[in-house]
Amino acid sequence: MDTLKEDLKKHIIEQLNLEDLQVSDIDDDALLFSTDGIGLDSIDALELIVLMEKYYGIQVTNPEEGKVAFLSINTMADYIAKRRT
Amino acid sequence: MLSIFTKSQMYITAASTISHQPTFKNAGFSKLIEPLKIDSELISPNFKEYIDAGLLRRMSKILRMSVTAAKDCLQQAEVDQPGAIIVGTGLGCLQDTEKFLNNFLTIEGLLPPTSFIQSTHNTIAGQISLSIGNHGYNMTHTQNTLSFEHALIDAGLLLGEGNDNIIVGAADEYIEILSTIGEHLHVKPEVNLTSGASFFIVSKEQSGKSIAKIKDIETVGLVQDIQESIENFLINNTLKESEIDLVLYSDFNDLKDSGQVSDVFKRFENSSELINYTNIIGIYPSNSAFALHYAVDRIRDNNKIKSVLIINGLNKINLGLILIESIEA
Repeated sequence: MDTLKEDLKKHIIEQLNLEDLQVSDIDDDALLFSTDGIGLDSIDALELIVLMEKYYGIQVTNPEEGKVAFLSINTMADYIAKRRT
Repeated sequence: MLSIFTKSQMYITAASTISHQPTFKNAGFSKLIEPLKIDSELISPNFKEYIDAGLLRRMSKILRMSVTAAKDCLQQAEVDQPGAIIVGTGLGCLQDTEKFLNNFLTIEGLLPPTSFIQSTHNTIAGQISLSIGNHGYNMTHTQNTLSFEHALIDAGLLLGEGNDNIIVGAADEYIEILSTIGEHLHVKPEVNLTSGASFFIVSKEQSGKSIAKIKDIETVGLVQDIQESIENFLINNTLKESEIDLVLYSDFNDLKDSGQVSDVFKRFENSSELINYTNIIGIYPSNSAFALHYAVDRIRDNNKIKSVLIINGLNKINLGLILIESIEA
C-alpha cells in the first residue's frame, strides 16, 4: 500500500505540474482539493480521472464516487486497491 | 480597409514587453538594444513574482509572458482593475496546441484536458482576467500579422464608448516545429523566429502617467498599393512625410529596398530616422506591438521625437499603420 501511495504522489506531481512539491511534501491524509491541503481545482479533478485510467486502468464514471475517492492520497489508494480486486 | 474612426484620443499610460531583448522593466531599453543575435533566447523574468503558483504551474510560455506583462502594466499605471482586456495573437497558444495534438496522436483512452483547454487563442485574455479577477469585456483578435492593430482598434472603439484604462496587447510564442515547417516550405528567414509579448494600458484622458498617444490606426488586408496606402494615411492625418520623426517598419524581404515603396521611403529618409524593428525583435506575427513599445520608449527618452509611424508589412499581403505622437505634439 505504501508503494502505491508513493507512486500515486509521483504521478500526481507529474501530471498536474506541481513543480514546487516533492513526494515528501504530500501527507497521506492531506485534503487534495482544500487550500489547507494541496489546493487542487476542477481542472485537476479531470486530470486525476485521466491519471486513474492511464496508470491504473480504472475508469471513474460516477461523479459521486470520484468526490469521495479524490479526497486524499489515502482515499485514492483505497479506491484503487478496491477496484483492482 | 479598417481604420480608427473616432476622434477620441488614446493615451498610453503603461507599457511592458517580455522578449528576446532586455525590454522588461527596463525603461530606456531602446537606447541600449542591438540587432538580435542569432542565438538569442527569451529573457524571462521571475514569473513567480507576478503569477500565483496555482495558476503558473499550468501556464505555457505565451501565458506566462502575457499575464506578467499585463500585470506589470497595471502596477505601472496604478490601476487595480482595467475597463477591458483585449489581446491580439497571430498563432495563439502553440505550446499547448502541440502538446494536445501529441496527446491526441499517442494516448489511447481519455485525454488530459489542460493542454486542450489552454490551446485556444482566447486563453491569453482569459488567463489575464482570471489572474486579476476581472469580469469585464474580454476579447481576442486573431488576424495574422494584423492581430495587434485590430486589438488596438477595438480598444479605441471601447474608449469612445466610455470604458477606460484598458489592457491591450499582443503575444506570440515560438516553438521548434515552426522552424521545421519553414524548412519544409523552403522558407529560411534571415532573422530569428522569436517569442514576445507587449502589453499596454490605454486611457481616454491625459494624466500625469500618460507617456504618448495613439493618433490613428489603419489596417489594409490584401493590400494592393502599399505606397498609396501610406500616403493616404498621412493625408488623412494632415501630415507630410517630413513631419514624421521616426519610422519603424517591419517586413520579410526588406520592403524598403523592394522597389514597391521606394519613393515614400526616400521621402522619409530625408527627414526621419528609419528602423526595421524586425531586426531588433525577431519575427513573430504580432511584433508590431513591440514596435509600439519601442516608439513609446523613444518618445519618453527624447523630447525631439514628436511623431512616430509604424509600418507593419511583415506579411506582404497585409499592411498595418499606427501613428503615435508625443503628449506635447
